[in-house]
Amino acid sequence: MRYLLISWCFLIVSCGSFSKRQQLTEQNTSTEIIINPYFSDASQDYVYKASIQVYNNNFGGLLIVKKIEDGNHRVVFTTEMGAKLFDFTITETDFKVNYILDELDKKLLINLLKTDFKALVQEQSVISKSFTKDNYQIHQTSILGKKHFYYVSEQLDQIIRTGYRKEKVHFFFTDISNNIAKNVSIAHSNIKLTISLKSIL
Amino acid sequence: MSSAEADALKSLVKQQAKTTKTITSEFTQYKHMDFLSNDIVTKGNLHFKAPNLVKWSYVEPFTYSVIFKNETLYINDEGKKSNIDMSSSKLFKQLNTLIIKSIKGDMFDTEEFTIEYYKAGNNSLVYFTPKEKKSASFIESFHLTFNDKGDVEIVKMIEPSGDYTKIVFSNKVLNNPVSDALFTN
Repeated sequence: MRYLLISWCFLIVSCGSFSKRQQLTEQNTSTEIIINPYFSDASQDYVYKASIQVYNNNFGGLLIVKKIEDGNHRVVFTTEMGAKLFDFTITETDFKVNYILDELDKKLLINLLKTDFKALVQEQSVISKSFTKDNYQIHQTSILGKKHFYYVSEQLDQIIRTGYRKEKVHFFFTDISNNIAKNVSIAHSNIKLTISLKSIL
Repeated sequence: MSSAEADALKSLVKQQAKTTKTITSEFTQYKHMDFLSNDIVTKGNLHFKAPNLVKWSYVEPFTYSVIFKNETLYINDEGKKSNIDMSSSKLFKQLNTLIIKSIKGDMFDTEEFTIEYYKAGNNSLVYFTPKEKKSASFIESFHLTFNDKGDVEIVKMIEPSGDYTKIVFSNKVLNNPVSDALFTN
C-alpha cells in the first residue's frame, strides 16, 4: 500500500498536464464554442479514398461522411468495389451501428471508431479553456468525456486527443479550401494505427 | 416474360458464356446510398480470362486494381501492393463464383437463387435473389440486364437497406487475346 502511495505521488509529481507539458500559455477567451467546419455542409457529400495502416497491414476503401441534419452524421466505409464494411449514425447523444460486416463486429474496434469519428465530425464543441502557443490558438474541449485540444491558426488545423496527460490521437486537416479538408489524417500514438483520407470529389 | 421467352434467354446466355474465353470491357460503377445527394461514380477496365481470372482496374478518380486469382485477392492500391488470402472464407468463394458468373451472366443453373424474368425494351432484366441467409445479409438481390445478344450490360447488387452498387459495362470485347501476365500484381 505504501509503495502504491509512493508511486502515485511520483506519478503526480512527474506528469504535468498535457497543456503544461506542451508549454501552452493559458489565456482568457470570449469564444465559448469551437467549430469544426469540415463536415458541416448538409448539401455536400464528403467522399474520401481511405488508407488504413494498422501495424504492418494496409487496407483501403472509401470513407463517406454526410451531415443529415444538425448534430447528425452518417459515416460509412465501403470497399473500392462498393461493398459496405460499416455504416454508423453519429448524433450529439447517440451512436448507432446501422450495419457492420460480421468479421469487423468487435466491441473494441467499434469503440475505437466511435471515438475517432465522433471527434472527426462533431461540429460544435464547448470550450473549457484556451491557450496560445506559437501561431496557434488552442481550445480545450471534452468529447465523450475525453480531452481534445483544437489547434487553430487561420483555420482549424489539428485536433489532439489526450489521455493520461499524453497525446493519444492526432487529427490533421490539410489542403483546405471552401471548408473542405482535402487531406485528413488520424494518427494513433498508443497503437500503430493511421487512417489517411484523401478527398475524391 | 413468358416461360418460353425465359428459356430462350437462358439458352442464349449459356451459349454465349460457353464460347466466352476472354472479356475486356470498360465499366462505370455507381454506388448509390439513399442519404447521399449524388451517387459515387468510379470508372475503370475489366479483364476476364476463362476459367477464373478476373481483374478490376479503377482509373478514375483513383487508381486501384484487384485481381481475383485462385483463392487470393491481389490488390494494388495506388502502388501499395497487398494480398488477401480468402481460402478459408466460404463467403468469398461464393462471391468470387458469383462475380465470374455475373460477368458472363451464367447464373441460371444454380440452386442458390430464386430467379425472376422481366422485359426492358429490347433488353431482358433478370433478378437473382439468394436463398441462403449468409450471402443475403449483404446482398438482397442481383439484377442483371442482358442485351439481345445475351451479353450482360448492367449488374446491380442491391443491399437489404435498398442501397445498391450498379456496374454498367461499355465497349465490351469478347475473345480478344488477353495475356496471363495481366493477372499478376
